[in-house]
Amino acid sequence: MKALLYKELRLAMHPAALMFIALSAMLLIPNYPYYVICFYSSLGLFFICLSGRENHDIFYSLTLPVPKTSAVTARMLTAVLLQIAQLCAAIPFAILHAKLGIGGNLVGIDANTAFFGSSLIMLGIFNFVFFTSYYKAPEKVGKAFLLGSAAEAIYMCAAETAVHAIPFARDMLDTPDPENLTCKLILLAVGALLYSALTAAAHRRAAVSFSKKDI
Amino acid sequence: MTLCEVNKLSKSYPSFRLDGVSFKVSSGEIVGFIGKNGAGKSTTLKSMLGFVKPDSGGASFFGKPFIGNETEIKQRVGYVAGGVDYYQKSKLGTLIDTTKRFYPNWDAEACRRCLERFELDIRKTPSELSAGMKVKLALTLALSHRAELLILDEPTSGLDPVSRDELLDIFLSLRDEGKGILFSTHIIADLERCADRIIYIRRGRIIADSLLGDFERGWRIVRYSERPDISGLIGERRERDGFSALVRADARLGGLSNEPASLEEIMLHIERGDQDEGSAL
Repeated sequence: MKALLYKELRLAMHPAALMFIALSAMLLIPNYPYYVICFYSSLGLFFICLSGRENHDIFYSLTLPVPKTSAVTARMLTAVLLQIAQLCAAIPFAILHAKLGIGGNLVGIDANTAFFGSSLIMLGIFNFVFFTSYYKAPEKVGKAFLLGSAAEAIYMCAAETAVHAIPFARDMLDTPDPENLTCKLILLAVGALLYSALTAAAHRRAAVSFSKKDI
Repeated sequence: MTLCEVNKLSKSYPSFRLDGVSFKVSSGEIVGFIGKNGAGKSTTLKSMLGFVKPDSGGASFFGKPFIGNETEIKQRVGYVAGGVDYYQKSKLGTLIDTTKRFYPNWDAEACRRCLERFELDIRKTPSELSAGMKVKLALTLALSHRAELLILDEPTSGLDPVSRDELLDIFLSLRDEGKGILFSTHIIADLERCADRIIYIRRGRIIADSLLGDFERGWRIVRYSERPDISGLIGERRERDGFSALVRADARLGGLSNEPASLEEIMLHIERGDQDEGSAL
């Protein structure tokens, strides 16, 4: 797996995917739907899979002495690394946002702890939808991305609407840190759990699909 | 020593069926895997190595089934499907550096020798290489991990005669080192130069598996201007001064002049023949 991960980072990694991590700085924009930064990590992943298709990455991977399903594991680990890097890169900008006194977010959720928990749920949903579709037909990566980003968009709209329409979300979650920190930390933990569970489920399904796939 | 054994490999597609393919490859032999385009050569090779999931049957390598021993087997097998057509914009050095990490028995010295012999510059990218050089790069990667069995899927297609000849020299050297080579092609002249044995696949079924000389001696070519009244003529072809057909060497020809058949002639006549003739082989 170490060698496959090296291959992912050295050959398969698309430069745009790394550059998108810097877009975590968008948390400094006042009144903005901050979930968009997670969308960029999904877009980066799409670029990796798209250029993988053009570079015959799957064929190359299968010539290597690794089990067929390891190619799935390595790609999904790369996705997790990118997504975690995106959120980790966002933390200092969330702190800076508060320090600069930019103020609350009129559009959607504040750049706070709850936002990170909710983002993890959104990324878990993307992973589940994208990877289960992608490994059924890796040549149709555009369709997989369309489905994955549509699922993300639906979640994003629902989550942003919730902080306007649902009193609990508005009063407890959409507040500056460290207000209601316990609630937000619970959401962060739930987000981490759901992210792990959805990504693991996606991996299981993707590996089964891919092992049956003729290359 | 048997390096690889394919046992009743079957795979169905809507318009094609690989039907109970079985054969063996031993060390120190070059086996030509022939058949026209679409006969099932690539599907067989891909099914052996897990690229394609067979409906039934499978392959074993070095006495072990592929399923369950995939990693170990791939350490000892080199698969070359034409030239390197992946990561065309990455430098050869990067591709080699990435690939070698998968092989604990990577032989850096062998790699260096191959690069030198094939005049491959590690600062170049595959996109800057000719078709022949891409095949040589694929061979370099396969040979640098000390593969005992090379599975080559049409490695000489698209190469100029000089490059093809050079590659065949390399295959013969590898055979002398005791390596086994399974080599699919539809360029029959290549096999006449280097193959010890041929396996002939037609419409997804193996119709011949024998030593090249034995296979050729089993057939004769007859030439005539008017169709003779004999049975067993296969794949009649129009020629400048009449017709030619393939017959079994032991067929009763009733004085009809005949001559030895080359592998290419055998294949051309068989492919021209109808399905019944082909399946009767």
